[in-house]
Amino acid sequence: MDSDIIIKLNKVNFYYGQSRALTDITMNFRKNKVSALIGPSGCGKSTLLRLLNRMNDLIDGTRIEGEIFFEEKNIYAKDVDPVEIRRKVGMVFQKPNPFPKTIYNNIAYGPKLTSMNTDDLDTLVEQSLKQAVLWDEVKDILNKSAMNLSGGQQQRLCIARALAMKPDILLMDEPTSALDPISTAKIEELIEELKKNYTIIIVTHNMQQAARISDETAFFYLGNMVEYNKTEKIFTNPDVKHTEEYITGRFG
Amino acid sequence: MEDMMKSFKNNSMKWRYFKQTLFFGAVRLSALIIALALGGILFYIIVNGIGAISWDFITKPPTDSMTKGGIMPAILGTIYLTIGAIAIGLPLGIASAIYLTEYAKQGRVIRLIKVGINCLAGVPSVVFGLFGLGFFVIFLKFGSSILSGSLTLGFLILPTIIGAAEEALKAVPQTFREASLSLGVSKWQTIYRIVLPNALPGILTGSILGIGRAAGETAPIMFTAAAYFTAKLPGSIFDEVMALPYHIYVLATAGTNIEATRPIQYGTVLVLVAVVLSIDLIAIIIRSYMRKNKRW
Repeated sequence: MDSDIIIKLNKVNFYYGQSRALTDITMNFRKNKVSALIGPSGCGKSTLLRLLNRMNDLIDGTRIEGEIFFEEKNIYAKDVDPVEIRRKVGMVFQKPNPFPKTIYNNIAYGPKLTSMNTDDLDTLVEQSLKQAVLWDEVKDILNKSAMNLSGGQQQRLCIARALAMKPDILLMDEPTSALDPISTAKIEELIEELKKNYTIIIVTHNMQQAARISDETAFFYLGNMVEYNKTEKIFTNPDVKHTEEYITGRFG
Repeated sequence: MEDMMKSFKNNSMKWRYFKQTLFFGAVRLSALIIALALGGILFYIIVNGIGAISWDFITKPPTDSMTKGGIMPAILGTIYLTIGAIAIGLPLGIASAIYLTEYAKQGRVIRLIKVGINCLAGVPSVVFGLFGLGFFVIFLKFGSSILSGSLTLGFLILPTIIGAAEEALKAVPQTFREASLSLGVSKWQTIYRIVLPNALPGILTGSILGIGRAAGETAPIMFTAAAYFTAKLPGSIFDEVMALPYHIYVLATAGTNIEATRPIQYGTVLVLVAVVLSIDLIAIIIRSYMRKNKRW
């Protein structure tokens, strides 16, 4: 296996009850790249994202076929604890969802409870907030409730919270869809910065965003992966006509 | 013709306005009747009972075959029984609700359990009393005691607490659970650290109803805990106690001189109402304190 591949999907089918949400997906995600998943609503891109940290386990009546390898280990093997996977694969959600706790405790929550090596929690909190470019804005109000922050700040806090766990991969499920353009720009800059140290997989409805920030883009339609290629190629000269039609806004 | 249209229109407006006033009046009256009923009862109790209240009344045991003296043992007994019922009903109820909402796979078995809980809520309290007598007092040999009474009352208020806890747990946004789990925090830790603290104010609100009921019930403690008369204060949870609701029942129906004890009866009722309201008040204070930092 190519050494810069961190996640590998092999013939993955996924079902919600009787209905199939993903069909025969085989694809690789590369280390320290930003990969974007695009496609119309209901195409399965968010479902795919949530397969990578086993968040779909939370939904009753779901079933997966096939294998997903994370660093050569099938994360759906019987002996794998999903909790362990989630420590290495962080997630940022569509709507900012800080805990109703202080800013400090939002960040410290994960490391404290997962008995990570936390000799110096203060440093870890500072480091994570700096990584998420939020430190300067909140360093004097660390003991205030995170609920008082603006939407954009809350989302960066959620990113910092995920980073505090020192994951290898960061999954982002439409992280800017609830934010204004300025906050969105800040998050996009942040993603650019983060990819030096993390592998980022992002679901987005915003075509320009995918074009701006991702190295690779996968286009999904009705649970199928239609095309997966370098972002530049997808947006300038896609192989499949369907992809071109979606990107140019002729349907979707 | 135009005039006719206009007047018709005006009339229809008037008619609608009249209907609105009528219905608003009706719903307002309903609310008023309830408030008046409550106010009336309280007023009646206070007017008739206040005369009996004195420092000795609430700090001394009854004397002269319960026709004189105070009701201190009954006050204490009711407080013990209520605290006992909370200590048993609250943890058990919260635990059941956590299982039902967070862990159990929704399906036929869970639906059946929920129907069962609802049925339990409809069981008359005297049946709980008989169950307590048969199971706790006789079978488990706890005797007529604080323990038996607390257990019986605890089970009596269980459905109320389970219901309240279920609603409160469901009201905690799913996004909190997802955020916590996505950090690699285990399910139990997520429930314990995120879900439960945020649900607790809601759980308490609902449980207040149950707690008030535990303090005021007569039938469940009649066979399991309450003594007709004992001047001796309980030394352990295996002792019998006097209790306010049962004391009222005794004074009003089986006392040595029912007419003569009328003022004491009203005084006891007033104290019981005050005790129930204070327990509610404590729960409300705890709740508002917990709510301070929990906004989402």
